[in-house]
Amino acid sequence: MSDHVDGPRVIGDPPADVTDLFAFTSPENSAHTVLAMNAFCSAGITASFSNAINYSIVARRMTVADLGNAAKFKPGDKEYRFSCRFSVLEPGTDSKTVQRGTLSCPDGQELHFVVNDEKGASTPDGKFRVFAGLRSDPFFLAWLVRDLKKFQNLLLHDNVLAIVVEFDTRSVLDPSQGSLFGVAAETAPIQGAATAIGHEPPRLDWVGRPEQTNMRLNNPALTGTEDVRDLWNQQTPFALPEEVRPLFRQRMMESLKNWDMRDGKADWTPEAMAAVAEVYLDDFLLFDVSKPISDKSFFEIEKSTLHGQPYQTGGGRTVNADVIDIMVTWMVNNDREFLQGGALQATKPGTNTFPYEASPNTQLQIVADNADLSASPDRVWDVIGKFGGMWHPLIASVQLTGEGVGQLRTLELIDGKQIIERLEFMDHSKKLYRYTNVSGMGVVDYTGTLDVKSKGSGSSVEWRVQYLADGQPDFAVKTIVSTLLKIGFEALKKRFGAQT
Amino acid sequence: MIAAPEIDLRYPLTDGYIAANNLESTRQQSWSRFWQDPQRPRIAECIVVQEQFTAQYVGDLGALERLDTLVRQLDQAGADEMRTALIRAQVASMGHRFAEARDYLVQADAHGAPQADVNRLMLSIDQACGTRLEAVLQARRKMAAESERLEDLVPLGGLLADLREFEEADTVYRRALSGYQDVSPFAVAWVCFQLGALWGELVPEPQHERAARWYEKAIEYLPCYVKARVHLSEIYLESGNVADAEALLIPAVSSGDPEVNWRLADVLAAMGRAAESETQIQAARSGFETLLSKYLLAFADHGAEFYSGSGNDSRRAFELAMVNLANRPTLRAFEQAYETAIGAGEIQAASELLLSARKRWGGTRSFGLSALAASIHTES
Repeated sequence: MSDHVDGPRVIGDPPADVTDLFAFTSPENSAHTVLAMNAFCSAGITASFSNAINYSIVARRMTVADLGNAAKFKPGDKEYRFSCRFSVLEPGTDSKTVQRGTLSCPDGQELHFVVNDEKGASTPDGKFRVFAGLRSDPFFLAWLVRDLKKFQNLLLHDNVLAIVVEFDTRSVLDPSQGSLFGVAAETAPIQGAATAIGHEPPRLDWVGRPEQTNMRLNNPALTGTEDVRDLWNQQTPFALPEEVRPLFRQRMMESLKNWDMRDGKADWTPEAMAAVAEVYLDDFLLFDVSKPISDKSFFEIEKSTLHGQPYQTGGGRTVNADVIDIMVTWMVNNDREFLQGGALQATKPGTNTFPYEASPNTQLQIVADNADLSASPDRVWDVIGKFGGMWHPLIASVQLTGEGVGQLRTLELIDGKQIIERLEFMDHSKKLYRYTNVSGMGVVDYTGTLDVKSKGSGSSVEWRVQYLADGQPDFAVKTIVSTLLKIGFEALKKRFGAQT
Repeated sequence: MIAAPEIDLRYPLTDGYIAANNLESTRQQSWSRFWQDPQRPRIAECIVVQEQFTAQYVGDLGALERLDTLVRQLDQAGADEMRTALIRAQVASMGHRFAEARDYLVQADAHGAPQADVNRLMLSIDQACGTRLEAVLQARRKMAAESERLEDLVPLGGLLADLREFEEADTVYRRALSGYQDVSPFAVAWVCFQLGALWGELVPEPQHERAARWYEKAIEYLPCYVKARVHLSEIYLESGNVADAEALLIPAVSSGDPEVNWRLADVLAAMGRAAESETQIQAARSGFETLLSKYLLAFADHGAEFYSGSGNDSRRAFELAMVNLANRPTLRAFEQAYETAIGAGEIQAASELLLSARKRWGGTRSFGLSALAASIHTES
């Protein structure tokens, strides 16, 4: 699912948290199928997979057992399991570490690869290919779910750890035996020696359709309900035990009723809602390898079957599918009117080349420094609070264009370099201003903030700069910005005296 | 002596280096997200947890400063008052500014903060301050029985240890381990550390070998665990195993925790490397004073311990112990204040402390087991 951080337990070990699952026809080769799972919500730049977890994508052949309000998808017994394991970190070059992985394929072949190698690895027969590593999170959720208010993408600029498996559809899945499949992704602890301490969980997390846990079973608009997400995450995909089914059924019905009334209108009959709840409880992502899978085909198989009709598409889920808005619309108004959240796409759209999920987002860099000065805040602000002020030793001249917010300053540095900055915010009462870089720094989203506060008998100045490096390494920009701040503070200390 | 059982979990935990790397990576990513939009839902709350982990396990005490920045930025961004009050309460509590934390919790409550969040933090504050302990114990037992989760069992174990119910504390910690259902090494290392402290420091007659095995396990699961390294090094030093003690501490020096410098100074002194030892003592003194100047309440008890030991300033130790006692009059704080008063030659103050301790704690079973009870007996 897209269920980023979907239980108290996975918060403890973020690489165990499965965030998304995808199933689509390979854009590079229509005879291939791609299954991908993402884990580790908001992974940092150096994030690694856990060496103690088996990351698996498991598919089973499905049959449509019934239609309409009795709709049912029945899984076959045979499993097509793709499992990845990862090593501990090994020393690499440039003081970086390396992690290796092994994919076990359904036919028993093993494929060894290096994490973050964009080319991935392929079996000699070309039947299987795998990539694992950091990617831009393709999921987008642009609603404040509890209040159903449009919002910016909550996963903006986020990265995830992705495992992308591509394989030859005909030789692996044998569609002649049936072309409809259900797929789930799971994380489970690697088996160890049985001893006295430690209670082994069957699995840590699993995902079928998007947001089974965070939006449906743990609908944030339902108050006073117990968090059942961890209990759900430990159930077995394709085989929800009968003894827990009533508990989850009741919660699902409560949640769906709540979703239906979010717009104040009842669009679902109790019978139709009960049928949908049953389909949701069988939580796997359906895809048909004999039909077209597109950005729009997600959930079509379920909807058509619930409507008592044969499905037309391959369902599945592409990297760019707007799954949340499709699901929200269905739950709130039964497709009466499409509900578009506050974003039309993820931070970076998926690509048509392997591994299909976009390259990771650069991490925002922060350089901050402060100094405690002997002079009063007013005296200090009088000098540094002027956007066109000439107090920094590295600045040879300043030229201002315009006035107030939006004003530009062109700085000529003593080495001849030119930098243009724009005033974004100025508050003389709070002694704070904020500016952005327009050109001359080789960065994007560069914002600087200067503020002065009272401290002891003097003042404290804080200068913070944040940016995304663009076209040059982070450390190069960091060196320039750090030097700028350091020399600026030295000058201020010399001018006003430093508090001891 | 009862031996600690081997802990061999049924499944492996995530390698400690990967876990620490992921914690740091996530922490940085969270800050990056925060600076892009300080009001982003849940981001400030995530940072508080990650910074707490960083301070607790990696010994990075810069976490406190960063959390102060977080609170300042939330104010500047005009964040929701309930959210800010709750975060302020957490940050104040982490800095042992308990009175301030209580005020923020009242504010958070008034602004509609979830009752469970308010109650949970209030319990921790009461426990840390030694107030309403009967009620806290009852609530902790109930929470632990209902959830059987490690995060509820360990605080119960900690409270039982504070109440000198050592065997039951041990049982509860083991229950936490046996019910653990995760692969993160942080929680397991935490329980092992608690068991080490229980048997190595809290019981009246410490069992060093038993404690050492728990600390060793904690470090095995989480090599970056600075506090576990420090405590284990003390046991190694006491048993004359100075080379291993030094090897434990050297990788932890970069954490910036002055306790590492202090213990390393002791080890180097025992090895006869006086000049190096002196350098480390200076670093420890400077480190403690820097921390105390910024976060007096958070480090008053540690500072007192340092100055009554190798820091060699019994007056400063007494002064800091009294600060700690005023902030949280636990039985342990009384014990420390009494010991430092004696060390500083403040006999009158020591007598008064004994009387105050008896007045505050005299009716409890834990007081009867405390060294203070014996001192009262001797005085009378």
